[in-house]
Amino acid sequence: MYRIIEFIVRFKEYVSLSAVVVICFSLMTFGNVAQLGGFRAVVVGGIGWLQSAFSWIPNPVALKSENSALRELNLQLTDERAKIRQALIENDKLRKMLEFKKQTTFPIVTADIVGKTTTEVRNFATLNKGELDGIKEGMTVMTDAGIVGLIIASSKNYSLVRLLINRDSRVAAKVQRSRIDGILVWEGDQTLLMKNIPKSYDVKVGDDVITSEYSNRFPTNIPIGKVTEVRDEANSLFRKILVQPSVNFTSLEQVFVVKMLPNPERVALEKEIEERWKSRNIQQR
Amino acid sequence: MPPFQEKSLFETWPALRYVIYAIIALILSVLHVVFLSLISVGSITPDLLLVLCVWIAITEGQFIGLFAGFGCGLLFDVVSADVLGTNALAKTLAAFVAGYFFKEKLADKTIGSYRFIVAVFFCSMVHNLSYFFFYVRPTDITFAGFFLKYGIASTFYTCVAAVFPMLIKAQKLSRH
Repeated sequence: MYRIIEFIVRFKEYVSLSAVVVICFSLMTFGNVAQLGGFRAVVVGGIGWLQSAFSWIPNPVALKSENSALRELNLQLTDERAKIRQALIENDKLRKMLEFKKQTTFPIVTADIVGKTTTEVRNFATLNKGELDGIKEGMTVMTDAGIVGLIIASSKNYSLVRLLINRDSRVAAKVQRSRIDGILVWEGDQTLLMKNIPKSYDVKVGDDVITSEYSNRFPTNIPIGKVTEVRDEANSLFRKILVQPSVNFTSLEQVFVVKMLPNPERVALEKEIEERWKSRNIQQR
Repeated sequence: MPPFQEKSLFETWPALRYVIYAIIALILSVLHVVFLSLISVGSITPDLLLVLCVWIAITEGQFIGLFAGFGCGLLFDVVSADVLGTNALAKTLAAFVAGYFFKEKLADKTIGSYRFIVAVFFCSMVHNLSYFFFYVRPTDITFAGFFLKYGIASTFYTCVAAVFPMLIKAQKLSRH
């Protein structure tokens, strides 16, 4: 016994170290007891109070790091917000188009505009669908808002549309309220003109203008625009009707192509008569 | 000692210095948790309690030092809500190593010289080796990489913190 005590006293540092190490391992293994948890909660609460009391002291390093992280997050959020806005607008547009697609009785093909001009005298648009999708020359192009134009050429995968805002465009139109017929042509900018309407005819500002049943090229009763001005010309029996197209050609992105071709017999007859008149006019000169 | 010379408080109550050590340990542990983040460099902070443990071990010897290490480590485990026993074990081992730098009656000279920084360096390495070994065990983090990044950086930062008590002691010695 004496020898054990002598040994312990002689090597007290190593014996104590071993005992303390064992205690530490015991604490690591069994240390998380409920009673200690309560005491710890008090300590943590006290430390937390102290930390909150001194939280006003600025930490430049942490602030700089937080600032940098926040700036990066801000940039990401700004980018996301722009994308979300774009997606919302596109979603809204597509919903309307989907609704129109459901309601319409015409067979239609959706297409995206991949190129267009709206500032020239003759304005065209290029679609990303062509003959492989069943698109042919002479088909009508429209949106849920109204008439866009006419397919004038198509390849396998692309089509060219002559827009309504084109010098060569002619649409047989009708004032929906008073059933007055006329021909719509483009007068420049974003305005269409209905010519040769007698002054006695009932046309008012705000009247809707739609495609006429006399048109062989366009389906009937498709919106074209609204009457914005009724101009009575001096020394003339006729008035000029200015029509604002219902389609916004500057923001046009998606369209429908109506898979309906004009009656070929009628087209051939009208063409033949037109050629006869042209040749007669030339002869008379 | 001359019969009419007044005794110092420490000579009257030798245990008083242990009380002072305990109070300093408590203050340092609270300081560590509340304020040390303000001087952190990439989440690395100096271990002030370890500097205290090395000081005690060099001043009082290996036997007292290892109990001081155990006490400081346990206190820090409670205050920092760490796994109980991890800091206690690490600081016990560090203080035991620091005890080898103890030389009777030469404690002040050791602390007031570069030997104190060397002692803190070795003890901090031992401390961090032990602590991070148990720290990364339950995780998928590799010990070597973690220790190279955090252990060594913490060692150097602790050595920087140890320079201040060393200089204070050196100045006191130069006055006497």
